[in-house]
Amino acid sequence: MRDGALTRITALVRQDVRLLLRDPAPLVVRTVMPLLIMGFMQPLFRAALRAGGEAADANGAEQGVPGMAVMFLFFLVNVVGFAMFREHGWNTWDRLRASTARPVELLAARVVVPLAAAVLQLAVIFGAGGALFDLRVTGSLLALVVVALPLALCVVMVGMALVALCRTISQLSVIANILALVFAGLGGALTPQSAMPDWAEPFAPAVPSYWAMRGFNEVVLRGGGVADVLLPAGVLCAFTAGLTAVTLVFFRADHRKLSWS
Amino acid sequence: MPTESGPVRARSRPPALSVRGAGKSYGGTTALDHVDLEIAEGTIVGLLGHNGAGKTTLMSLIAGLVRPDAGEIEVLGHSVTRHPRRARRELGLAPQELGIYPPLTVRQNLQFFAELAGLRGKEARRRTEEVAEPLALTGLMDRPASRLSGGQQRRVHTAMALIHRPRLVLLDEPTAGVDVETRARLVAHVRELAAQGTAVCYSTHYLPEIEDLAADVAVLHGGRVIARGSVDDLVRRHGDSAVELVFSGAPPELDLPWPVTRQGDTLLVRVEQPHLVTAQVLAALGDAAARLSALRVVRPSLDNVFLRLTGGQHGGNGEDHANTDRIEAEQHA
Repeated sequence: MRDGALTRITALVRQDVRLLLRDPAPLVVRTVMPLLIMGFMQPLFRAALRAGGEAADANGAEQGVPGMAVMFLFFLVNVVGFAMFREHGWNTWDRLRASTARPVELLAARVVVPLAAAVLQLAVIFGAGGALFDLRVTGSLLALVVVALPLALCVVMVGMALVALCRTISQLSVIANILALVFAGLGGALTPQSAMPDWAEPFAPAVPSYWAMRGFNEVVLRGGGVADVLLPAGVLCAFTAGLTAVTLVFFRADHRKLSWS
Repeated sequence: MPTESGPVRARSRPPALSVRGAGKSYGGTTALDHVDLEIAEGTIVGLLGHNGAGKTTLMSLIAGLVRPDAGEIEVLGHSVTRHPRRARRELGLAPQELGIYPPLTVRQNLQFFAELAGLRGKEARRRTEEVAEPLALTGLMDRPASRLSGGQQRRVHTAMALIHRPRLVLLDEPTAGVDVETRARLVAHVRELAAQGTAVCYSTHYLPEIEDLAADVAVLHGGRVIARGSVDDLVRRHGDSAVELVFSGAPPELDLPWPVTRQGDTLLVRVEQPHLVTAQVLAALGDAAARLSALRVVRPSLDNVFLRLTGGQHGGNGEDHANTDRIEAEQHA
C-alpha cells in the first residue's frame, strides 16, 4: 500500500475524471456555446475592430474568438464550485476528510481536472475559431499559451476562492455568473478594448479578463511574441496568487456547505 | 475480546480505541461530557442512545472530523488530534448519512476509496472484489450507485469504509432504513470482521441488533456514558422484570412477598421471574380480579434496560410490547 500525497492526489484526480466522463455535458456546452455566439457576433466585431482602427482588414474573429473564449472560460467557475459542493450534497466530503488525505490535498486535487478542462476549452475554441471563423494569429502561438495557462489557472482559483467564501451553492452560482459577465464587460471580451466606454476604462485593469484580452490582442492583432505578453501573463499569475491566498485563508474543511439537495 | 493471547503482548498493545474524558460543546449545548470508552481489537461495542444523545458526535470526534474540547482519543495508540493521519489510516468510517457517488458504478465507488488508501492496479481491483463479496455486491459492481435500492446503497456505503482493512470500524446506524435481508447481511459481516480481529463501534436504535452482534453495550445519555457492559451484565444489573396489572378504577391493595408499586390504574409487581408467579398474583387479587382489564409479564431485556437507564418507561404506556407477554382480560361483565 503506497501512502503518499501524490498517490492520494492522483486518486482524487482520477475520481474527478470519472465524474467528468459520466457527465461531460456542461463542459461540452461551455465549449460549443461561444462558437455559436461567434457566428452571430462576428460581423459586429468586424465592424468594431475596423472602426477602432485596430486592424483595417479584420474579419471579427480576432476579437470574437478570444473574447468569447475568455467570457465562457469564466463560466467554468461554476463547474469548479459544483465539484466541491456536490461532495457535500452526496455526503462524501466527510468521508474524504476521514481518509488520510489532508485538506490541502483535497483542494489541490480539485484544481487539476478543471484546469485541464479550461485549457482544453481554450484550445478547442481557438482551434475551431481558426477553422470555422478564419481566425488569423499574427503573433507567436507560444505567446498564446503563455497567456492561456495562467488565465486558466486564474479562473480555477476564482472558483476555489468562491468555494472558500460561499456557504451555499446558490450563492456561488449567482456570484460566479455575475463575475463572468462583469469580467467579460470590463475586460474587453464583449467589445474591443479600444471601444470600451470611458467610465469602464479605469476599472478594467482590476479584472483578470482585461489582462487576458490584452495578452491575446497583443498576439492575435499585433503579432506579439512571448516577451510582449509577459506583463499580462505576470498580472494573471499575481491574480492567481492572490486568489490562492484567499482560498487558503478562508477555506475550512470542517465548514458544512449546502448543496442543492 | 482481545486477540492477543500472551499477557506481555496484551499489555504492550494499545486498545483499538481509547477515549478518555472526551468533551464537546456547541455554543451553550453540551454534546459530550467527559466520555470514557475503550474498545479492544476483535470486539464490537454497540453505542446506544436516543437521538441527540451524542453518538454521532462521538463518532465524529473519533474520526477526527470534529475536534474535542477536552479529553484524549487514540486509535491504536495514535492520538486523533496530534497524529490524525496515523489514526485515520487505522479507521474506517461509515457515517450515518449515506455517502456515495451516485453517478458512478459500485466498482468505481469502491475503487476510489481503495486508491485513496494507496492501493493501486490489481491490488485495488482484488480488494474491491473482496470487500464486495460478503456484502452481496458482486453482481451489482457495474451498476451506477444511483440505480441501486436503498439497502444496496447502504451496503456500498459500508463497503467503502472497509476497503482499506481498517482495524477500527465506526458504523453509525448502518442499518437505518434497510430491509431485513440487508440488516442480516450487515450484522453477519460485522460479526465476521470482529472474528478477524477488527474492533467495531456500532451505533443503532434497533436494539435486537446488539444482541445479534453479541456486542458489548455503551449507553450514551445527555452526552455521557451512563452504562457499559455486556448485554447479560446490563440486563442483570438494570433489567426490569415484573407482572403488570391494569385495573378499571383504583388498583387494590395486594398482600404479596414482592415489592408492589402503583402507577395510576396500574400495579407493578417486581419479581425476578414474573412468568412463574403470575398464578399466585392472580390468586391474590380476590374480588378485585373482576376489575382487572389487562395483565402483562414484563421480562428483562435490553429494551427495558435502555428505557430504564435513559429515563423512559419499561412498558407501562404500552411502548414495550416486544418484550412482554400481554393477556387482555376483557371483563365488561
